[in-house]
Amino acid sequence: MLKKSLLEKILAKALSNGADFAEIFIEDTFNSSIQLLDSQIKKVIEGNEYGAGIRVFYGTKAIYAFTNELSEKSLLSAAEAVSNADIGKGNIKAIDLRKKDVLSPHKIEIPFDSIPKTDKINFLRKIDNSARSYSDLISQVNINYIEKEQKIHIANSDGLITGDTRTYARVYVSSIASKDNEMQTGSEGPGAHKGYEFFKSINPEELGEKTAKQAVTMVLADYAPSGKFPVIIGNGFGGVIFHEACGHSLETTSVAKGASVFADKMGEQIANKCITALDDGTIPNAWGSTTIDDEGEPTQKTILIENGVLKSFMIDRLGGMKIGMKSTGSGRRESYKFAPTSRMRNTYIAPGKDEFDDMISSIDFGIYAKKMGGGSVQPGTGDFNFAVAEGYLIENGKITKPVRGATLIGNGAKILNKISMVGKDLTLAEGMCGSVSGTVPTCVGEPPIKVDEIVVGGRK
Amino acid sequence: MFEKEFEQIFNIAKKRNIKDIDILLTKANSFSVKIFKQEVESFKYADSIGLGVRVLINNSVGYAYTEKLDKDAFETIINKALENAIYIESDDVVEFKNYPEIEKKLHIYYPELEKVTVKEKINKAKLLEKTARKFDKRIINVPYLEIGDEKTTTKIANSNGLQKEYTSNLTYGYTMCLAHEKEETKSGMFYKFSHNFNQIDAEVIGNESAKRALDLLEAKEIKSGKYPIIFNNEMAATLLTTFAGIFSAKSVQEGRSLLKGKLKTKIAKDIVSIIDDALLDIGFSTRPFDDEGYPSQSTNLISEGNLQSYLHNSITAKKDKTKSTGNASRSYKGTMEVSPSNLFIPNGTTRADDLYNVFPNSIEIVQLSGMHSGCNPISGDFSMGAQGFFWENGQRKYPIHNFTVSGNFLQLLKDVVTIGDNLKFNFSSIGAPSILVEKLNISG
Repeated sequence: MLKKSLLEKILAKALSNGADFAEIFIEDTFNSSIQLLDSQIKKVIEGNEYGAGIRVFYGTKAIYAFTNELSEKSLLSAAEAVSNADIGKGNIKAIDLRKKDVLSPHKIEIPFDSIPKTDKINFLRKIDNSARSYSDLISQVNINYIEKEQKIHIANSDGLITGDTRTYARVYVSSIASKDNEMQTGSEGPGAHKGYEFFKSINPEELGEKTAKQAVTMVLADYAPSGKFPVIIGNGFGGVIFHEACGHSLETTSVAKGASVFADKMGEQIANKCITALDDGTIPNAWGSTTIDDEGEPTQKTILIENGVLKSFMIDRLGGMKIGMKSTGSGRRESYKFAPTSRMRNTYIAPGKDEFDDMISSIDFGIYAKKMGGGSVQPGTGDFNFAVAEGYLIENGKITKPVRGATLIGNGAKILNKISMVGKDLTLAEGMCGSVSGTVPTCVGEPPIKVDEIVVGGRK
Repeated sequence: MFEKEFEQIFNIAKKRNIKDIDILLTKANSFSVKIFKQEVESFKYADSIGLGVRVLINNSVGYAYTEKLDKDAFETIINKALENAIYIESDDVVEFKNYPEIEKKLHIYYPELEKVTVKEKINKAKLLEKTARKFDKRIINVPYLEIGDEKTTTKIANSNGLQKEYTSNLTYGYTMCLAHEKEETKSGMFYKFSHNFNQIDAEVIGNESAKRALDLLEAKEIKSGKYPIIFNNEMAATLLTTFAGIFSAKSVQEGRSLLKGKLKTKIAKDIVSIIDDALLDIGFSTRPFDDEGYPSQSTNLISEGNLQSYLHNSITAKKDKTKSTGNASRSYKGTMEVSPSNLFIPNGTTRADDLYNVFPNSIEIVQLSGMHSGCNPISGDFSMGAQGFFWENGQRKYPIHNFTVSGNFLQLLKDVVTIGDNLKFNFSSIGAPSILVEKLNISG
């Protein structure tokens, strides 16, 4: 992308006021998306994102500038701006960039541009047809098809020069069921770190039907009860509970500031013994996987909690300096428009020993949250809130009927001790996670888990 | 600005015999500083440009965009846009027109703001942190704090002679404090934005956020049931932000709004009005024209409880045989949508402080969470995590936490009892005064 000699010159300029570290991140990303709505192709859009971000550290003070004018003059002026933000005692004389290539374990088989757009559109039509033919109650189907290829180059004053190409494929389907003025949605958004082969691996009819079934089930459901109940949270996207309630508090972004309830708990029992949780960026072709992180560090598989004991945080370079620990390859950013910080990749609770049926039969009155919706957590306090997208009532040890409109609320640190059973069937689900360094692809995951008591906000 | 680039694109289009083309460019510059323990934690300078084109071929619109502004990139996006237009099946009627200017003179760009030095911004951020930390010894942390400013230029041109641009800027400050006592941690946040750096009063922001966190300490749980609810002005605005999409004619036409079929009917209590005003004197979204170049206006969406209008761009307006309301919105990376400008519930006639006296017992909501997960903009159902206060006979008794507030947005509009006089806008440029609702479901 840029010549090595120019990169060295830019880094030298960025260091010229005595900064301790300098880094440049260059990105050239191609995006393409198609939208099918009202059974018609409503949107086809393509474009390039292109720019560079320069970062320096004075101690743990971070200065960041970005531009999308990649001329020598403009980049040097950005480097000068970050360098001028302070005066330091750093003494890096010469930078000799040495290329370090990390082999990607994420093989891409079919490039997106080798497939005609009409094939992609036909794939979307099959999903649409299947969702609409599932039931007369389906009133709308909205399908978004996304391709992304992100090329990045990173060079820093340690002499590192490296790069990666990340290929992402995702289709997001949302079906609406309507009945007497009531509308409910059912949605699925499978995605992967893959090329067009990902779409070929999906059965479009099954995908459409799944979203339609969820919407219809929910529109016919009664409102969920309110109160404190035991809850079984289903596998896959159910892992959003761990992501929101605990994952964010294990990122150095919050740990380094003491804004996390887990900040001083390393090595301590923070969860029930049945809980082991990981953040793994190495799973081949998974949506949240990377080869290197956005600071050029090879990605890792990080054990966060083992048998309930806190083992590691998710650590980026700057966060690591602040808490005195090494990077776990967790420095991520949405694009050159953001300075990197510690973020989750594929975060999940490991499989346990309990049978799903035993978990259900252990409950007299409660909720089976088969599919979770989105959620959020309040930084600092760990209070979380998330929606149940597909829920059922459990009565006398049996799943009885669907219920809608339920919300689960609680506190991250407290809920970890209330998980008493962990099932066997671990699955991952794809999502987009937003935080200070923008929105990045992540997977959440878990086997089914039982929470002994949680506040359920319903309408009854 | 960018005359040369626009001319290059028009020339390429001409060579391809493209009769109708529209170009949107956004240039944004911003600066922000964060302070932690009286040290600069981070600085960020941002300088970005993006350009998107729309081409119209046989009444189909193709889109493409680039952040690289050179001739090769322009050739590429024109080719892509032409190709992408082929697949479009929409029955939208799209026109690129030349629209008149507005009469009102808007004050949205303040050159003085650019004269504020980095040092002044750092000092203000440091004072903000210091104020919050020393407010009370129970303030244990100020993890999030920022002072920043933004300047944005939007330029639009099309093949029918439209050529318009505007620049606006503003500055902001916010902080989030943590208060801790007896194993309990509560957060408090306060923000301010303005066109005037002096209006970002560090001491007010610092004190207010600290006070808000402290007020929530020693919170109790509340018994599930139906209670009269007061949403304070910020939370009323949060609720309106969550459901703002229902006013979009595009959502209505696509069957994704609960306001479908409700135009010219009564959907709210008499005292409820909702206005979208892009010409507001001071507003985040105040602008002379929208993203089609259509002149800005003020639109009554709900008047005395009656749904008077949806928000339109020229495409949705054509479909509904009405006029655009100047709410076309698109980023250079996106397609044409409909969005509110400055959307708000105007002040009511009751003093905000008097809302607590109406019922013997009521609950005031001051924090909400889970807006994107617990609200269904299609059904209007919401169920959100909340924190607030329990009020008895006009007295604030104690803070409450660990509960959800749930209901339906349309029902809520019908159940409004009184509206306060303390209208405040949020960062999405959506505003409301405090609002008292007859009853909502609380579960704790």
